[in-house]
Amino acid sequence: MLRPAGLSFPRARNCDATSGMSTLGQLVLSGIFIGGVYALMSMGLTLIFGVLRIVNFAHGEFLMLGMYGAWAITRVLGLNPYFAAIAIVPAMFLFGAIIHQLIVRPALDKPHLVVVFATMGLSIFMQNVALMLMTADLWDVPPIFDRSIAIGPFHFKTELLLGFVITIVCTLFLQWMIRATYLGKAIRATVQDGEAAMLMGIPVPRIFLITFAGGSALVGLAACIMMPLFSVFPTVGLNFVLIAFVIVVLGGMGSIEGALLGGICIGVVQSISSYYVAPAYGQMFYFILFLLVMIFRPNGLLGQKGAATIGIND
Amino acid sequence: MRNNWLRLGACLIAAGLTVLAADRATAQQPIRIGVLLPLTGPFAKNGIENWEAMQIARDMINERGGINGQKIEFVNGDATSPAAAISETERLITKEGIKITTGSFASPLAIAVSQAAERHGVFHWETTGAAEIITRRGFKHTFQVGAPARRYGQVAVDFVIEDLSKQLKKSVADLRIALLWENRAFGKSVGDGIRAYTESKKIKLVYDEGYDQFATDMTPIVQKLKDVKPDILIAISFPNDAVLFQRKAKELDFNVAAFIGVSAGYSSPDLRNSIGNMVNGLFVADFPPKVNPNVLNPDIRKVADEFYRRYEAKMKRPPAGHAAAGFSAIWALFTHVLPKAKKFEPDELREIALKLDLPEGSLVNGSGIKFTNFDWPEDPKDAGQNLRASIGVWQWTPGGNEEVFPAKLATHAPIMVPLPVWSSR
Amino acid sequence: MFLGGTYQPSGRRPLPFLPKRGTYASVLEIFIFLICLALTVVGLPQNLQDVAVLTFLWAGLALAWNIAGGYAGLISFGHAAFFGIGAYTSTILFVHLGVTPWVGIWFGGVVTAAIGALLALICARLRGPFFILSTLAAAEVVRIAALNWASLTGGPEGLSIPPVPSLASMVFASKAAYVIMMLVFLLAVYAITKCLEASRYGYYLFSVRDDADAASAAGVNPLTVRTAAMALSAGLTAIGGSLFAQYFLYLDPTFIISPELSFQFALLAAVGGLGTAIGPVLGSLLITPMSELLRSYLGNQAAGLHLVIYSALLIAVMLYFPGGIAGALTRIAGGKRKP
Repeated sequence: MLRPAGLSFPRARNCDATSGMSTLGQLVLSGIFIGGVYALMSMGLTLIFGVLRIVNFAHGEFLMLGMYGAWAITRVLGLNPYFAAIAIVPAMFLFGAIIHQLIVRPALDKPHLVVVFATMGLSIFMQNVALMLMTADLWDVPPIFDRSIAIGPFHFKTELLLGFVITIVCTLFLQWMIRATYLGKAIRATVQDGEAAMLMGIPVPRIFLITFAGGSALVGLAACIMMPLFSVFPTVGLNFVLIAFVIVVLGGMGSIEGALLGGICIGVVQSISSYYVAPAYGQMFYFILFLLVMIFRPNGLLGQKGAATIGIND
Repeated sequence: MRNNWLRLGACLIAAGLTVLAADRATAQQPIRIGVLLPLTGPFAKNGIENWEAMQIARDMINERGGINGQKIEFVNGDATSPAAAISETERLITKEGIKITTGSFASPLAIAVSQAAERHGVFHWETTGAAEIITRRGFKHTFQVGAPARRYGQVAVDFVIEDLSKQLKKSVADLRIALLWENRAFGKSVGDGIRAYTESKKIKLVYDEGYDQFATDMTPIVQKLKDVKPDILIAISFPNDAVLFQRKAKELDFNVAAFIGVSAGYSSPDLRNSIGNMVNGLFVADFPPKVNPNVLNPDIRKVADEFYRRYEAKMKRPPAGHAAAGFSAIWALFTHVLPKAKKFEPDELREIALKLDLPEGSLVNGSGIKFTNFDWPEDPKDAGQNLRASIGVWQWTPGGNEEVFPAKLATHAPIMVPLPVWSSR
Repeated sequence: MFLGGTYQPSGRRPLPFLPKRGTYASVLEIFIFLICLALTVVGLPQNLQDVAVLTFLWAGLALAWNIAGGYAGLISFGHAAFFGIGAYTSTILFVHLGVTPWVGIWFGGVVTAAIGALLALICARLRGPFFILSTLAAAEVVRIAALNWASLTGGPEGLSIPPVPSLASMVFASKAAYVIMMLVFLLAVYAITKCLEASRYGYYLFSVRDDADAASAAGVNPLTVRTAAMALSAGLTAIGGSLFAQYFLYLDPTFIISPELSFQFALLAAVGGLGTAIGPVLGSLLITPMSELLRSYLGNQAAGLHLVIYSALLIAVMLYFPGGIAGALTRIAGGKRKP
């Protein structure tokens, strides 16, 4: 039953069993929702990872760029970030395409380390351009819905629920696209085996371009959803990029559902470990989880068998 | 015969010109002070505010004729991180020949800068860095003018004991107090201080946790606090987390009777930009942004007014507590230490600093100055700590920021106690 | 004149770790090191000594990284953890137990080598980006542990070494002594690298890097080879970390064990030329002075401008000179690129 908070509402009394369960429930549900948002941010990365077999170290900065864009549109035009997505998503698509042509494509036929360092250089570049243009201040948007939604004894910020819903919708859309359209088939083929795909007549370089640009567009969408939840500043990408990497690897390279599942896992793990152990160790737990997955199930939860150990198309 | 007179005349003129030139040279030889502040990086915002305040001090002293005729010149170093701080300090000392340094806003930077300075025997006048360890390393030439970390916590706890407990009509033993600290040098230092102080006063903390500075989701922390149900929460956070925490508290409907933030995130004037009216009623333990003018000496009062005027004209907002503290400290250096020096050598400045005995109210932010010199009963290795640094509690109010504690510094009484719940704010 | 040595098969079978007869250093290498030596002995102006110390130190560390990354193919973005463990070990031993750093650094090196071997074993099956990310995650775990284990490491307030110069505590009053110390470190790591290159074990490394399956078909055990390479790399990095601690006299966990520092080692090696001995040295000689001086002169004028320039240069170098500087020089000299 959804009711806006603020109406009379029985407060949890000092009853251990009830408060213990409702706390756990709040933690798990909050973890799931925020994990979904993290997952949307990581879907672009997993697609790029799966198709192009590269790690885009500037992923966090793409997110930062999208967030600044969403902020600017919100502040200047008075829209809210969800509407700003209409402009941000195509803009990020274009930006991704440009970066691909300029930086990624020339690096693809060189040793793997080149693209790693090139994207890392891009990351430092974007962070400092943002610092010069926007200063180190935190910018954020005013709250859009000024109340929480309550489901039973749990409270959730409306923007968080909306973000989660958008993530689910997006996941379903992407799944449909991957299964039902020619582009989706081409992407799946390229993920499985790029050379074979080329032999079958799939324009692999164009698929690369579309995937990279599409991944960037997804990050732009994630940025619009995250803007109401977090502040933006030049190094905000650093906070999130490590989470994104962990989710991508956990979920399985190239798998959209894997990213969602991985994101939810990470959100819940972070939530629960921060509560029951100590907030200071919150990050450590999902890194340890990551290492455990790497040792025991390196292909991730839903990834292709052998992806991690056979290697990449060097 | 005429040639001789000409020659003599030329010599006299030359001599006269030389004397004049020399005189102008010494008079115009500026006093060069190295300023190490974070102008880029995570502390940049506050570092730049500090830098602006210091520049105002330099302009003001130069307009008054400088120090006995010599102008002050700042040489800048960008102390982005502790490693950069050390490199920049070394550069200023070895390349620019600086013998006096100041700065550095944040504790890890202060630790690094003073380390590099002491290595070369350079005099370091630390304005705001608070970590206890700054003065506990047995350094001879490092002076910490601002309050050390434990005082921030102590003043918050004193405020609870002397003021809040009465307003909330509960005895101190019955109050449930929670402590949340960010796991960085300053946060940990203050947290340690609060823990020690509450133990000594026999107050039990119902919650005492540190959290990572990169936390993006505050839900577990707020949830845990909610389950503990404290009356008062003392939190040490930097700006990013402060915003996240307050929003999450509102989202999860976590209410306390009083909230005391400590410095850093909660004292930044931008907090109001980020969370709007949610700030009203929050207390902040920090350098006073403005003190009750009656506690200041009359001439310092004029200096204070001029500083506030200039700062607001330049930055379009009143100075944060730490910027006022930076100005305060550097002004004290300009007016109480440097004028007594002849050669501006570190050992000479050290002697002068150790002899200072200024009562409270002598500095713009209400502080006095009395430095320890390995003679502090609580730690014989401590030197350069200012025992009269003022620190107080102020409050965000709808009309502006008001100092509320201790009483003699206060400009206003505390309002909104107990803090209204979220739904009615 | 090409970079590196020539390998003449000899009749006898040498010990696996000594260079074979006939290996020599190229003219370029000798030239560069003579310059470094001359600068150190003649003495730089004081402010440049700081740059020199860092240049030599990062060069040594990039060389150490190169053993794992360039020779063994184990590209790691977690080497800052080894750096940090070494730095903290020797400093903790000194500050808490009074053990002189002259002994402490070796202890740190051995401990870290063991940890490096462990990491290589754990991540033995992983390749490419998976390995890179695992090293990143492991380094983050170490960082968080260092940050929170305050009783041992001082937590976020860090550890300080008293700045009292004395030979026994490896703290020197004059910067020139540090320049010499770092140059000795660089030469030592360089010598180890060259010996490795020319030895039988070096051949094992290259074969495993280039094609692990073929190597194991030829009787080389990739696991032991990789593990040993990682251990050596980790140990040398740890020693460099200890030397850094003795120079800076202040350890801050957020900087010492950061991804940025890990990237730096890899970067210097990659820009200079992966898989060559002189490459990382060239990388450091080019980048370190440039970044220090850029920051000194531009850092104040426009926040972040120096990093904008540095990163743009990095992208350009990586895209147009993938063999790094050493590769470019080899092409110019017309020689073959050595394995």
